[in-house]
Amino acid sequence: MNLRSALKPGFVGGIVVVYLSAIGMVERFQDRNVITGLVGLGVVLMLVAFAITSYTAARKSDSSLLTGVAVGFISGAFVAIVTMGFEGLINAGLDVRGMFVSITPGLLETLEFGLNPVVGAFMMVVASTAVGAVSGVLVGLEYHLRSAVVFAIGITLLMSLGEPILRVTLGNLQIPTGWLYELGGLTIAGTIIVLALAFGLRWWWMSRADTRREAAAQMPEATRRTWGRASLMAAIVALVALPWIVGPFVSDVLGTVGLYVLLGLGLNIVVGYAGLLDLGYVAFFAVGAYAAAIFTSPASFLVTEEGQQFAEAGFTNLWVALPFVVIIAVVIGAAIGAPVLRLRGDYLAIVTLGFGEIIRTLVLSDWLSPYLGGAQGLTRVPAAPPSSFDLRNPQHIYYLILAFSLIAAYISYRLVDSRVGRAWAAMREDEDVAEAMGISVVRYKLLAFAMGAGVGSLGGVFFAAKIGSIFPNSFGLQVSINVLAVIILGGIGSIPGVIVGAAALVGLPELLREFGEFRLLIYGAILIAIMIFRPEGLLPNKRRQRELHEGQDLAAVDLTKEGPS
Amino acid sequence: MSAPAPAPAEQSSRRLRFERIPMRRIILIVLSVSIIYGVVAGSTATLRTGVFTAEDWQSLFINGLARGSVYALIAIGYTLVYGILFMINFAHGEVFMAGVYTAYFVAVAFAGNGFLNSNPLLSIAILLLVSMAVSVFIAVLLERLAYRPLRGAPRLVPLITAIGASFFLQYTFRGFYGANVRAYPTIEILQGKWTIFGIQMLKTQAIVIVAALFLWFLLYLFVARTKTGRSMRAVGEDREIASLMGINVDRTIVATFAIGGALAGAAGILYVFLFNQVIFTMGFLPGIKAFTAAVLGGIGSITGAAMGGLILGILEAVGPNLFLTGAEVPSPNQLQPVIAFGILVLVLIFLPGGFLGASEEKRA
Amino acid sequence: MRNYSSLGKLVLLLMVFALIVAACGGDSTDTTTADTGDGGDGGAAAACDADPFGCVEVGDGEAITIGTLLVISGPNASLGQDSQNGVVMAADHLDGTFDGTNGELLGHAIAFNHQDDGCSAEGGQAGAQALAADPSTVGVIGTSCSSAALGVADTILSDKGIAIISPSNTGPALTTPEEHQAFYLRTAHNDKLQGAAVAKFAYNELGARTAATIHDGSPYADGLQAVFADTFESLGGTITVREAIQVQETDFTSVLTSIGADSPDVLYFPIFAAEGGLITQQARQTDGLADTTLIGSDGMLSADYVAAAGEAVEGVYLSGPDLSAFTGDQDFYEGEFKTAYQELWGGEPAAAFHAHSYDAANMLFDAIKEVAIDEDGTLFIPRTALKDALFATSGVQGITGTLNCNDLGDCQSTATIAVYQVVGGNYDSANPVYSEVASLDS
Repeated sequence: MNLRSALKPGFVGGIVVVYLSAIGMVERFQDRNVITGLVGLGVVLMLVAFAITSYTAARKSDSSLLTGVAVGFISGAFVAIVTMGFEGLINAGLDVRGMFVSITPGLLETLEFGLNPVVGAFMMVVASTAVGAVSGVLVGLEYHLRSAVVFAIGITLLMSLGEPILRVTLGNLQIPTGWLYELGGLTIAGTIIVLALAFGLRWWWMSRADTRREAAAQMPEATRRTWGRASLMAAIVALVALPWIVGPFVSDVLGTVGLYVLLGLGLNIVVGYAGLLDLGYVAFFAVGAYAAAIFTSPASFLVTEEGQQFAEAGFTNLWVALPFVVIIAVVIGAAIGAPVLRLRGDYLAIVTLGFGEIIRTLVLSDWLSPYLGGAQGLTRVPAAPPSSFDLRNPQHIYYLILAFSLIAAYISYRLVDSRVGRAWAAMREDEDVAEAMGISVVRYKLLAFAMGAGVGSLGGVFFAAKIGSIFPNSFGLQVSINVLAVIILGGIGSIPGVIVGAAALVGLPELLREFGEFRLLIYGAILIAIMIFRPEGLLPNKRRQRELHEGQDLAAVDLTKEGPS
Repeated sequence: MSAPAPAPAEQSSRRLRFERIPMRRIILIVLSVSIIYGVVAGSTATLRTGVFTAEDWQSLFINGLARGSVYALIAIGYTLVYGILFMINFAHGEVFMAGVYTAYFVAVAFAGNGFLNSNPLLSIAILLLVSMAVSVFIAVLLERLAYRPLRGAPRLVPLITAIGASFFLQYTFRGFYGANVRAYPTIEILQGKWTIFGIQMLKTQAIVIVAALFLWFLLYLFVARTKTGRSMRAVGEDREIASLMGINVDRTIVATFAIGGALAGAAGILYVFLFNQVIFTMGFLPGIKAFTAAVLGGIGSITGAAMGGLILGILEAVGPNLFLTGAEVPSPNQLQPVIAFGILVLVLIFLPGGFLGASEEKRA
Repeated sequence: MRNYSSLGKLVLLLMVFALIVAACGGDSTDTTTADTGDGGDGGAAAACDADPFGCVEVGDGEAITIGTLLVISGPNASLGQDSQNGVVMAADHLDGTFDGTNGELLGHAIAFNHQDDGCSAEGGQAGAQALAADPSTVGVIGTSCSSAALGVADTILSDKGIAIISPSNTGPALTTPEEHQAFYLRTAHNDKLQGAAVAKFAYNELGARTAATIHDGSPYADGLQAVFADTFESLGGTITVREAIQVQETDFTSVLTSIGADSPDVLYFPIFAAEGGLITQQARQTDGLADTTLIGSDGMLSADYVAAAGEAVEGVYLSGPDLSAFTGDQDFYEGEFKTAYQELWGGEPAAAFHAHSYDAANMLFDAIKEVAIDEDGTLFIPRTALKDALFATSGVQGITGTLNCNDLGDCQSTATIAVYQVVGGNYDSANPVYSEVASLDS
């Protein structure tokens, strides 16, 4: 083994841990128990960083154990030295916290395991070396065993991280959780059970892999189709039953995920199908929400008298308003689209971003506040009849969002291979050629914009109905960025990708709600990591994936192409 | 399965229909006429009320020039990267924030021991160096860790990565330095006003405008005259051929990011001359505006970015008061983004490549 | 592969067995606690049965869970972080000292469930749902922003019978008879009080006859300036112009030039530290505003603002709670509290509302002490009784003043609003230049 090959990963591990400490993550995460009474999330974070660096280094080396130990040792030593350095600076009377606010006494205590600095430093090196050794051993293990061990550890961590959701969900199902969770973390007994169970399951699953494959190969076509149908049915049944299994909080999260699925499907038509980069999709979301509120809220200018704050009732109910809202959004979509259709790529991106900002500014403005509420927003958007179906109840509105998402997904699915879909594909591939082929580029671009606007406005309607009061700051650039990230993360042009992307970007962060100050940091890190390791997205459209991997000739698309040709 | 070509008869009839009723053109004409009418009518109404004196307009204009200079310097960073990688470096605003925020701690230390006001020029030079160094470091790190692995990926991929990097950097610095707003210590010699050509302006504004002009000129010379500058242009034209010609593409790209970072770092110090406060979110809005400015000027063109920055700055400063006050719109300055983006749309409708951008045919 | 298969089955069997055993174990402990409930003198059980929302049960050795729902991400993060610090310090001070570790309440530790309200309606909804779903949530301190509470968090939590006390919602709508939710209270003073007090101060004390206002598009600032403008006009003054800015902007010269065209006597801009600081500086450089008095409100009553405004801050008036009216607690606040704050969080408070959240948390702790029933170490906290105890709070000395909660949840129903002036680079919170007892009832 070459010691030098351990040096770089060792330092990387050390730097990552120092970084996580300096931004305050280690200390804040330490408040959350992973295994109550044994280890907190802050320490786990450090150990995982050590483990990942030594594991990757060990995999590349021919003497994995030695490399693992060396990397672990170097990382730990680096962290220990930096910790002692800060300790020294503070003792010398330097105001370290004047600059780095997160280098607190509490952090140093965590990094020294609550011991005195020298012993703590020693402990840090011991711990990191041990983690390195374990990672090294793991690399040396036989594949099935290693995979099962990693799986078991991963599941245990997930179970612990998912405590806020899982405990509530299990509680909702009347399943006692006292044996599993305690003070926000897993109990020691619970940890052992989860570890063993996950290990056993994984082992059993892998041991049957060959049999399964054989069975699948032998299955006749008809049976396979039946199986496919059955699993689709099962998925639908599961989707329908979900809110009652998971309870109101998780249903609320699912509702938000569903909203993003809907918005994602809409934007997917514009960006994924037609190839028009839209950074201002929030405009249509806002139009939908505000139009719905104006039509239904008793505070709307349509119904209030001069000087009166609230009328008896809104102008109409949500169901009546819905088609009108969509029509308004489609008209606005076409109106915004028409003047800018000649723009391409990044120019279109900045113009749409501008439209998003213009709409946000207008709904915020004092100028239009008599109609749109200005800074005070529009409140009291009523739930729609019948009253037994309460849109404010997360378990109820979930179904509405689910239904419309399914419709949007079905339409998107049918569009791909339709005449319109093929026209879009041609346009996306090469606008000039498409035009020469007789495709009316202007008309199809407008159609894409209008359809995207319609779906986006539906999202806005349900958002207004779900929350009940809308304020301008809910319609910032962040929403456009989120939706775009959802469809690209999932795999552009792919319908299942939208769902996976929304679940990953909107659902998962909810696990870490209590660490709100790090949510966007983690969000950013996830975006970067997925784009680097899986640029085609999590569940890519097969055709797009082919385009991506076969090089530039097939991918001669303005958006999906790299650089000018 | 390729799309079947429409039947010839249908094709020609559609052509005809669209040629007979050029809806798009009608919409465009109506739109631009109404915007221009609004601008002219609003402006004359405002000027007729006489609410603002000539001095007011002068000072607003100078003000717009000063903030536009800062946008221009940041915009050049966008345009440089775009010019050779064809990606929008969304995180560039955070590169700007990182430098000036870090330099803040140096400034506080200097203010604490009196060095800042006893040796103001030296202190400013050191602050400038620190800010530029940190910005360069972050920009290069960003290129190496986040963007380099993505060369050759579809264009939306680096865009999303850049957006991710923007959040990541913002919240990294929030973690390092905290969530509070912090005020830069005052530098005595920068206080007060000068009268130049009979126009009164703040010393800081004059310095910012001159410094930005100087930096732009320096960069112009660099790109036009030096070997690295020529390599940058070559790589922007065609990466493969440039590399065949013996240009080290990696090094050229790193140099581009470094130059963009250095300008952002310098822009940061100029920014605190004007607005003297720092917070971890401070990069986002100037970043978006600089991006707008770069597109307005024609993305990829350095002079265009500078021009776009100045125009945007002036529009923001003068626009709301000039166009809207006379129209009796309440709180006209709240509508500043509407004006800025409205003008952008108008410009791009008539000049789809911005003021100095390549024509759309060439880019497409 | 058969060897894997048999081993796997064995492991699986063992696991299922272990699971069943563990599950039964869990079940049995649950029944025991229920039994003790019934087997006791019936006090807790009766109280819990009688309460429409039941009791929160805190087992022996378990912690009392307090939720917070404050803005801890995004550009307003420093506001919520500051309030969160106040809540944590209240728990810290339960043992009488600030030592960085939570004290105990009735022999139980305090655990926090910190949620982010995002300063938005959707953030308030998600956070409130998370807190409402956790049956161990006793009470919630939040939200930071009125938009996260109005019709969202206040409704969701009230529907679940969870008391919510806001340290910084000042929007009048929250405590109007039409909108007020049963379990919602606040220690922040209603904008109606503060905006009117500032208008009276400007008109009567400063002798101002013309005024201009600026808001930043937040419901807080917009509401305050509206109340100010109405009161000022009803006193006989003239509002020359009402302007607005965009948050996160930095250059306000064009707004200020347009306001300066009328040279008003007073410029009222009840916004936050960052933009407030810049407006202060840039107003001093605007010709038309040379003689204009600048007034801000408690969104700017912080060291952050004073620092952000630099030298230009001299002479600015800031309104806020009267911290001097309570000399006893004033010493505590200026001395022990502020020192501890700096030590614990590494800097001066970034906003004024840590004091309100500290008071809110203490109100909640006091109410828990009052209504909790202790049976063999297990606490039973009836939810409605807890709410009633909170609404019954009266004459309690907090660091923001005397807390008297009215029926609509305003705990500063009679508040002393003070105006401070920045002199010599800081405002002296012990010596306001003006102070007025204002009551919502009048």
